[in-house]
Amino acid sequence: MKEYTFIVLILIVAFFLRFYQLGENPPSLTWDEAAWGYNAYSLGTDGKDEFGRFLPLDYIESFGDFKPPVYAYLDVIPVKILGLSEFAVRFPSALFGVLTVLIAYFLVKTLFHLRGVHPRFAKASRGESATSEVSKAENIALLSAFLLAVSPWHIMLSRAAFEANVATFFIVLGVFLFLSAVNSVKSRGAVSSPPQGWKPIDTPGLGFLLLISFSVISFILSIYTFNTARVVAPILILVLAFGFRKELLKQKKETLLAIVLGIVLLLPVANFLTSPQASLRFREVNIFSDIGVIENANQQIENDDNAWWSKIIHNRRLIYGVSYLRHYLDNLNPDFLFIKGDGNPKFSTQTVGQMYLWELPFFIIGILYLIKRKEGYWWIVPTWLLIGIIPAGLARETPHALRIENSLPTFQIFTAYGIFFVTQRISNFKFQILNLKLWKLFAICYLLFAISNFLYFFHDYLAHYPRMYSGEWQYGYKDSIEYVQSVQDNYSKIYATSDLGRPYIYYLFYTKTDPRLFRKNNVVKRDVFGFVNIERFGKYDFLNKKKKADNKNDKALFVQTPLNVPAKSKILKKFYLLNNSESLVAYE
Amino acid sequence: MNKKVFILLILIIIVASALRLWQLGKVPSSPDWDEVALGYNAYSILQTGKDEYGKFLPIVLRSFDDYKPALYSYLTIPSILIFELNVFAVRLPSAIFGIISVVATYLLVKELFSMKSSFEIQSSKEISKEKNDWKLEILALLSAGLMAISPWHIQFSRVAFEANIGVALNVFGILFFLKAFKKPWFLFLSALMWGLSLYIYQGEKVFVPFLIAILVVSFRKEFLLIRKKYIYASLTIFAIVCLPLILFTLTNKDALSRAKTVSIFSNSSIIEANTEKIARDRANNDILGLVLDNRRVEFAKYVAGGYLSHLDFNWLFIKGDIARHHVPGMGLMYLIELPFLLVGIYILIFGNFTKAVKIFTILWFLIVPIPASVTNDVPHAVRAINFLPILQILTAIGILFAMQKILNIPAKGWSASGGKYLIFSMFLLFFIFNFLYYLNQYFVQQNYFHARYWQYGYENIINYVSAVQKNYKKIIVSNTATMDQSYMFFLFYLKYNPVQYLKEGGTASGKFEGKNQFANFEFRKFDYNQENEKSILLIGSSFDFQEEYKTIHRVNYPDGNLAIKVVER
Repeated sequence: MKEYTFIVLILIVAFFLRFYQLGENPPSLTWDEAAWGYNAYSLGTDGKDEFGRFLPLDYIESFGDFKPPVYAYLDVIPVKILGLSEFAVRFPSALFGVLTVLIAYFLVKTLFHLRGVHPRFAKASRGESATSEVSKAENIALLSAFLLAVSPWHIMLSRAAFEANVATFFIVLGVFLFLSAVNSVKSRGAVSSPPQGWKPIDTPGLGFLLLISFSVISFILSIYTFNTARVVAPILILVLAFGFRKELLKQKKETLLAIVLGIVLLLPVANFLTSPQASLRFREVNIFSDIGVIENANQQIENDDNAWWSKIIHNRRLIYGVSYLRHYLDNLNPDFLFIKGDGNPKFSTQTVGQMYLWELPFFIIGILYLIKRKEGYWWIVPTWLLIGIIPAGLARETPHALRIENSLPTFQIFTAYGIFFVTQRISNFKFQILNLKLWKLFAICYLLFAISNFLYFFHDYLAHYPRMYSGEWQYGYKDSIEYVQSVQDNYSKIYATSDLGRPYIYYLFYTKTDPRLFRKNNVVKRDVFGFVNIERFGKYDFLNKKKKADNKNDKALFVQTPLNVPAKSKILKKFYLLNNSESLVAYE
Repeated sequence: MNKKVFILLILIIIVASALRLWQLGKVPSSPDWDEVALGYNAYSILQTGKDEYGKFLPIVLRSFDDYKPALYSYLTIPSILIFELNVFAVRLPSAIFGIISVVATYLLVKELFSMKSSFEIQSSKEISKEKNDWKLEILALLSAGLMAISPWHIQFSRVAFEANIGVALNVFGILFFLKAFKKPWFLFLSALMWGLSLYIYQGEKVFVPFLIAILVVSFRKEFLLIRKKYIYASLTIFAIVCLPLILFTLTNKDALSRAKTVSIFSNSSIIEANTEKIARDRANNDILGLVLDNRRVEFAKYVAGGYLSHLDFNWLFIKGDIARHHVPGMGLMYLIELPFLLVGIYILIFGNFTKAVKIFTILWFLIVPIPASVTNDVPHAVRAINFLPILQILTAIGILFAMQKILNIPAKGWSASGGKYLIFSMFLLFFIFNFLYYLNQYFVQQNYFHARYWQYGYENIINYVSAVQKNYKKIIVSNTATMDQSYMFFLFYLKYNPVQYLKEGGTASGKFEGKNQFANFEFRKFDYNQENEKSILLIGSSFDFQEEYKTIHRVNYPDGNLAIKVVER
């Protein structure tokens, strides 16, 4: 049992950091979270999504966006058991967050075992005994898991219903299973004379087949979970396959079976992926639609008197290429990674970076020495990190903590390797002050720094974060809808503003409206771009800038933003953000 | 010196000179306010011995209340004597020191990497000394070559930026320091270089102490072998050179005002969010919170952030910072250099160099962003200009390593039929492409897209106004954005007699929007409708005039937007 003590402790820490006050902090649901919750509720009621598609596999439509559906399915059981609540909606993300920490531990262990040799048969290399090789892998794995458990990046994304967080789990699991499959081939090859008490498995291909198939399934699941995984998973699996082509070729039949399995599993979504709807979101956010680039290029060519060579050096493809690179490199901006974090308060508290500042030296040392010492399957770590950023570079908003989450836990692995390396080397320093070895003094100070860095983050998260950024989390809907529900019988019509965005999903969520009823009596409008807008359902009518309340005769209740409340109206109740500014006002 | 090396070095110097001197007065299209101030103050010192405020032989120029170290102005005096007061003359010292820096880089690399003559990139011990020397030559030439074509270095060599002279002084300082291990009297020169560098640029006052410290620490063994009397003597030289500056700083209360305005510690917006947090912690009786939300923590984070901002790839290779510090569409280095820089850093750390050289080079790289990290507006290409030539040296190491790798590919299969030369020429092609792109961006596109940031338009306007000046009783020139410090441009382009100027009182105010006047010019904020006198001219930008009014002359930026116009009242 003793060998599991540390990882259990780490999991407890991870669990606490992800589940403590999960329903209350972040302070309220974003519309995407509310949509996941309601779709799960709807699927759990009659197997259809919000808009009535039966068990959709290709996509779930939500505010004109076509999302991969897995999160909704994962959320069905929590919503069934716990009811439609913030906690239930976020439960899958938090749970998979904890599981990612666990799988990261196993992954890193596999990563740093001697090349393809099962630790039990590891021969001594570089003067290290086999046991030290195992304990090294174990230590780096524990460190990586711990760093992921306390990572501000991973904590923030695990504490809200971000499907990206689940996709990350599947990718980590996929890589782990892939490496295990490869190892199962290698260990057989490596053992020429099996030690005592070890019997080779009788059906050598079966273990490999199972592992590689589950790896493929896991990767495919990630594709069904989050958009960026549609780019990251295929590239990653291709690179892994290329890196381990020898092992895969040893098991031709099984590999072929896994490939077939993968293709079959992709069939349900294939049709959709080639449709214009699939690229809708991409067209909205991509960098290649910036017309300014072309105008600028044309001007530059004109400045060169339209010379032929100028058309080559100011080619717009080239400029877009550089623009892509800029957005790609944005995600490696040290300010983003270590000081401020993502500019979007939903992904970062704005007070610490995506990683802790104290991790920085170890992160750099880790990169340098992992490349230098080439231990285990070292090359996977940098490759994975660089692949994980590829899709995010295509979008305008960079850096973007959510869209590059698929590159976790490579950042933590580098840092863990750096810490491991330094702790091994540092005891060689012999300077002494007052009988205390200098390095110990330094280590203690640094540990204090690291701890206060963590406290700084988590204290801020608990004490200040919800108050400062409740507006970003669309705070106010819940209070106002609860109020509306308590008085709605007195009114024939309820008008709610759309100014805070997508009110209908909150009304559905908090009134727990039966989806069958909703589908029957809603009014849906689609614009030319395919964006869907719910105009009204039941008693509730949603106002926006163009659309005003119509029948003035009836007794109606209004919920508006403070600036849009008419002067002579009778104000019934005001709803506040956590920083005490008004968010909504109810009046007659 | 080998004949081949000599020819190559001469070639590099010719390229460096061409890139720094060709069209020096015309690209960038106009001087910025600091350039005209340095130029006119030099002109004034040349003619009267005093600066624009009437201060006799100043060591610090009050200028726009930013207290510029004055050495650059003195360096400009000979070139003004020869070429008269014009943009070319003001920029010439910077360009010349830029060319010298390229040579200094060559010498420094040879000196630094021959320390204990253990220069070796590959770990094989069989390599003969001859081959090593040859590699060292290539590395030095590559570094100097990259420096010669460096966009960052060219940008600041072609403008009167004091910091650029600082680069040359630093490189020589290090070079002489290293040479002193063999010939101790070089230490005197080293002390002189660093002493002078304090008079050239503000950032040097922070950087030089760090630089000296890391040199002494890295090469402590060699340094301690130098006889004490040389060390004491050079310390004395350094102290004597510094003395006037120290006296000035101690006696003048405004001397540090520039440091105050640019430092983050006077930036109150940083702690705004914190005040709110502290109030909440107080209300909640949250002691842990009061400790963590301390203001000092916030400042420390800003300093760390400022430091790290200089390690952003985007800043270095793609974006740059403000328009005057880079050309449109490029950063401070060639994009193609990025992979080689990374490889170079890796090879420096793990390659077979002397330990002291490794430690010094890494530390040198690491201390560069320190002066800039405590200032606002980071990253900042001027305050971090001491990255030159270290980045070029690292890139050269990377290129040299890559070249070796490629040339060492055994000739079989695809590489037998010249495959490796294909890779080689592909890279060369990319490099040339990147370089040509840069040349176009610098010499053609920059003047079109960035003219406004170079305060374009004064030359034309002043030529016009000087012709009609006599016909008007008063000429009022705006001094609000984008016409900041317009008085200095008028002094500069009119070559207004400094004796006369000082007789009229010299500069009255160096503040932004401070009022100044000479002859029948007044420089101040104005409102067209309030100026009721007869026979006056108003000069300003589109921000100063709401309507067209009676415009008698105008200058547009190359992109067609109004730069400055002259209105008759």
